[in-house]
Amino acid sequence: MPALIFDIHWQAIVILLPLAGAIACFLWPQRGVQLGLISALGIVACVAALGWQVLELGAQRYAVGGWGAPLGIDLYADGLSLLMLIVTAVVGLGISVYSSGYFNQDRARHFWPLWMFLWAALNALFLSADIFNLYVSLELMGLAAVALVALTKGADALTGAMRYLLVSLLGSLFFLLGVALLYHSFGSVDIALLAERMEPSPAVWAAMGLMSAGLLLKTALFPLHFWLPPAHASAPAPVSALMSALVVKASFYILLRLWLEIFPLTNAALAQFLGLLGAAAVLWGGLQALRQTRLKLLIAYSTVAQIGYLFLAFPLASIIGWKGALYILLSHAAAKAAMFMAAGNILHFGGHDRIADLDRVVQRLPLSITAFALAGVSIMGLPPSGGFIGKWLLLEAAIRSAQWWWGIILILGGLLSAAWVFKVIGYAFTPAEVPHEARVVPATMEWAALAMALVAILLGLFTSWPLALMDIGLPFAGEGDG
Amino acid sequence: MQQSQPLKKTINPKPMTEGVKKQLLFRLLLVALLSLLATGLGYAVLSLPSSAPGLSELVAENLETSGVSNPVTAVLLNFRAYDTLLELGVLLLALLGVWSFGAVPERRESFPGPVLDTLSRLLVPLLILVAGYLLWVGAHAPGGAFQAGSVLGAAGVLLLLAGWRPGARFVGLPLRITLVAGLGVFVIVSAVLILVGGRLLEYPPSFAATLILLIEAAATLSIGITLAALFIGGRPEAGPNN
Repeated sequence: MPALIFDIHWQAIVILLPLAGAIACFLWPQRGVQLGLISALGIVACVAALGWQVLELGAQRYAVGGWGAPLGIDLYADGLSLLMLIVTAVVGLGISVYSSGYFNQDRARHFWPLWMFLWAALNALFLSADIFNLYVSLELMGLAAVALVALTKGADALTGAMRYLLVSLLGSLFFLLGVALLYHSFGSVDIALLAERMEPSPAVWAAMGLMSAGLLLKTALFPLHFWLPPAHASAPAPVSALMSALVVKASFYILLRLWLEIFPLTNAALAQFLGLLGAAAVLWGGLQALRQTRLKLLIAYSTVAQIGYLFLAFPLASIIGWKGALYILLSHAAAKAAMFMAAGNILHFGGHDRIADLDRVVQRLPLSITAFALAGVSIMGLPPSGGFIGKWLLLEAAIRSAQWWWGIILILGGLLSAAWVFKVIGYAFTPAEVPHEARVVPATMEWAALAMALVAILLGLFTSWPLALMDIGLPFAGEGDG
Repeated sequence: MQQSQPLKKTINPKPMTEGVKKQLLFRLLLVALLSLLATGLGYAVLSLPSSAPGLSELVAENLETSGVSNPVTAVLLNFRAYDTLLELGVLLLALLGVWSFGAVPERRESFPGPVLDTLSRLLVPLLILVAGYLLWVGAHAPGGAFQAGSVLGAAGVLLLLAGWRPGARFVGLPLRITLVAGLGVFVIVSAVLILVGGRLLEYPPSFAATLILLIEAAATLSIGITLAALFIGGRPEAGPNN
């Protein structure tokens, strides 16, 4: 039985299945929800099978078409890509369940094909070992994301989506220019081959600058975050959850791969600069979140802050630091999905997301507020939660590498998050001056939010498994001390 | 698309305020930064070695087993067919995005003049023929699905300009099937190849030519119809129409 499972090309299937799902949802829109949910379950099962395969056999390289690099395209699954796939599968399943109750018939017919395309793009991106193929999947992801954000009608949403489209295209084009420079210099677009042949030259520096800038723009690292709050806040709640939980992480993942494998030029100044931007993002995002009066904008600004933490690992440049950043990435994906879902429930329930008018929502939507609070625990970095483990590892890395000042940023960021979480929860307990009419929220939407929040908490209780997963294929082997 | 109003008429000439000055300064700064970027990139490009270590030799070596003799088609449909598969997804996705904005407003086109009418009647069959030729010739000379699809799309645009609208019978499932045909056939071929024990998009050499032609034919149709549908600018609604 295991031998049979290990013989199947799961890497190819986790990309083809969502594509097939997208086609099916497009062809039969009136069955979109069922087809989408079936595809989602199928993808989760296939990712689990791929995970088993990688756990048993180690990192897998897969030559598409049997050609192998440099002629063909390689797919590569190691611990890092597997982890991203699993996060996408878990959060994706939660969002699929949530969306089955969220959208009306007219919007569901557009949502499901787009979301399946987005899922295919994410899976393709996390498995790709080829920078041109990464560009194609980046385009696929970007277009799907923009179309999903634009599902909300209205001028604000369209302006946000348009700006997002331009930013996304600019980022992709920067990346593509870098790909062209690297291909011309080294005659390959395969990451492993490029890493072998790498030698510094002006073209390599230009490529590194262009690709990093494009990806930073897409990841919305401060000060390139200007497009994120309007796009993430105006989108429908499940789409906001997808954007914050998964889409911004995908460009970060590419950046991580490039920096760890192709450009290990160990430029300390540049790494410090990224760390500084990350620190600024943590503080600025936290302060802005605290100032917001709308719940979804607040959560969107908190994403800006959380992205900052991921970049604190660059100056630390140790395996523990990277693991810490990845742990924050994982728990933020689950927690932020939960938060946006809870916000979506509140919005659906009361028809607005003004924080000051939450009006004892805690009594009427206890599950959603619980989800929000639990997710808040992880975002603040309180134990026991995934966010706590991530920050703890980063703190350890900071102290080991004698760069304690990054630790202060971690603590300040946590305090800022705590401030806005408690502000929201406080309003959720107090009655508003004007009572509002309320609509019923489907149970699936409440439970989906709670489930995501529980994932973020459980990540803090079961730490050995994700941490062991990060070691498969030694994605951080190029980095120094343990 | 409606013609936008000429902008000059709506903007009143205002005295040079503090804000305008700031904007000017900002633009100058932007120009300076962009020139710096352009200089840096120019230097990087000029410093590239003139003889690039490309992959063309490797492509030529493997051309025999690829099923086609045109290296571009071999790269697009065999060596890097997986990229093309995703690209077809991008194209379909672009249309999905446009369609999600809503249905195209019902608009009666004015009856085309005699020149446009006659021209489109003459050109459209010719364009379809050229598309078919480009598709076929792509196996051994410049051509292929994307070129053929663009020509087909041009035929569609011409028809739309001449006032033709797809009938209600075609707007539903049949139209959607044509749109996904390219990606769908690609996915099905990939799945079947995996089922019979191959890798993703690993064609058995004896079937490679047939499979490539099959995929390209479906892709041509989808690309052409997608481009024409993008030109309409919205989801065509099934309604009483010619």
